[in-house]
Amino acid sequence: MSAGRRVHRSVVVAALIAAVLVPRSAAAYLNLSVDLRGQTVRLRWASTPVRWFASNRGAPGVSASDFQSAAARAFSTWQAVPTASLSFQFVGFTSASAFDDDGTPTLGFENRPDLERVLGATGFVLDIVTGEIVESDIFFNSAFTWSVAASGNPTAFDVQSVATHEIGHFLGLGHSALGETEPRADGGRRVLASGAVMFPISFGRGNTADRELQPDDIAGISELYPSSTFRARTGVLRGRVLRGGRPVFGAHVIAFNPATGQSIAGFALGDDGSFQIAGLSPGPHVIRVEPLDDADAESFFDGSVDANFSVTFYDRLFVAPKGGAGEQVDITVRPK
Amino acid sequence: MIRLKSHTALFVIACCACLTSTVADAQVRGPAPGRIEVSGGGGWFGGEALGQRDANLRANSATSSPYRLFTTDTQFGAAPVLEARVSVALWRRLGIEGRFGYSRPEIRTSISSDAEQGNTITAVEQMDQYMVDGSVLVMLGRGFGNLAPFVAAGGGYLRQVHEGQTLIDEGHSYHVGGGIKRRLFTHDRRFVKSAGVRGDVRVYLVSNGAAFDTDTHSRVAASGSFFVGF
Repeated sequence: MSAGRRVHRSVVVAALIAAVLVPRSAAAYLNLSVDLRGQTVRLRWASTPVRWFASNRGAPGVSASDFQSAAARAFSTWQAVPTASLSFQFVGFTSASAFDDDGTPTLGFENRPDLERVLGATGFVLDIVTGEIVESDIFFNSAFTWSVAASGNPTAFDVQSVATHEIGHFLGLGHSALGETEPRADGGRRVLASGAVMFPISFGRGNTADRELQPDDIAGISELYPSSTFRARTGVLRGRVLRGGRPVFGAHVIAFNPATGQSIAGFALGDDGSFQIAGLSPGPHVIRVEPLDDADAESFFDGSVDANFSVTFYDRLFVAPKGGAGEQVDITVRPK
Repeated sequence: MIRLKSHTALFVIACCACLTSTVADAQVRGPAPGRIEVSGGGGWFGGEALGQRDANLRANSATSSPYRLFTTDTQFGAAPVLEARVSVALWRRLGIEGRFGYSRPEIRTSISSDAEQGNTITAVEQMDQYMVDGSVLVMLGRGFGNLAPFVAAGGGYLRQVHEGQTLIDEGHSYHVGGGIKRRLFTHDRRFVKSAGVRGDVRVYLVSNGAAFDTDTHSRVAASGSFFVGF
């Protein structure tokens, strides 16, 4: 199983275990989950610090040492989230390849010209009883040109930005749909803007913006690895997206706080059109529902996504409480 | 909307009110010392703009401005208020007063300029707002017929319970204002010694509460009430 960042749309399969990514409705953004014996289990590391190795193979223009330093900065970005409880430990360099099933979480370059639209991907080995992550590896496709330049290189992809995204997967986060794209002539999509490092499509060469997490990423990782105060200080939005009284599967729901300017999003993935977004700062929020049409649906989860409706705003302000869930909301959308 | 970073203006106004009272002549219109007045009535508590904010996404260029998904403009609405007061005369022209007010203002967020749809939509929340405050009341000496003008200044506590009772915002307020009382009758030897009507206009400086920042915001309130003196 893998989750990767694409240059633009493509599907990469590098299954390490016979598990299927399934949507989890009880999560903001998207958490990676698996079905184990009929139970949906979120992927997460059971204990920290999470130990990791770096491959001793570099790529043109990026030495193994440069690569390790950039990856370490990306790990530090996630570790610095104040509302999450996470830590990492770099163990050393290894000659093992990423995706070797050897019990050593490894990040490194692999030359995969066959994956012409895949910058990187993350794979997992799970404990099939508990769902805990036993091993996770990240490969960076050295068929592309890479850079570790402090301000980026306009002809190369930024290692630290892509590492930040892939480490989100490494920790158990799925893709966020908080972004806008436009079609490209070659059939792919160009990112106009994104509201999450975990958006599935890269900004492109030379862009280093994704070294910095956004509120949606922070809410996601905090919900998965909460600090002792996170749940007491933030609120949860629960609701359903309906059209003609029937549930809408895969609707993308954005909660925007007009006081802070922060947007956090989730998906309506329950059989009844239900969704849940955690990590909201207390106070009124604007709720916007949109069809999932800015990337391939399979970038996010399995299932037939219903995108036949117009952008809809909930006509009430949702008030996020300080701890716990607010009133459940039902949002009715109209067909396009 | 006026935003004040300090309470300086409030104190200036309060000092002016007190100076005005010192030029009063002997024709004091206030109740006798120790008298208690209870009043109840209603009025209007003003609103304010809470501010505009765009829902921005990080643009795919370091040099371009953020990508605006939609724009919001939020107002704290004005609302009718019910209020009750108890005042005690310390001297003929000086008293203290406690007030309780209740109103149900709306927070209204106008949503426009969405990247994918053109309609302007308003999302609303209605809250319960409770205010408890205390004032020093100074009766101005020279009235107009049966009318007794006064000025007041004080401070209090604000409690705003959001829709669904899922969140409570608290704040504090300072106010200055004035008004006029008109006695309809007085009877010094009866249990009910006086009754009348009063009108109040106040400027409140409110801190915290359901605000989008930590500044102090001003709101205007006006009310009318019926009072009974004991």
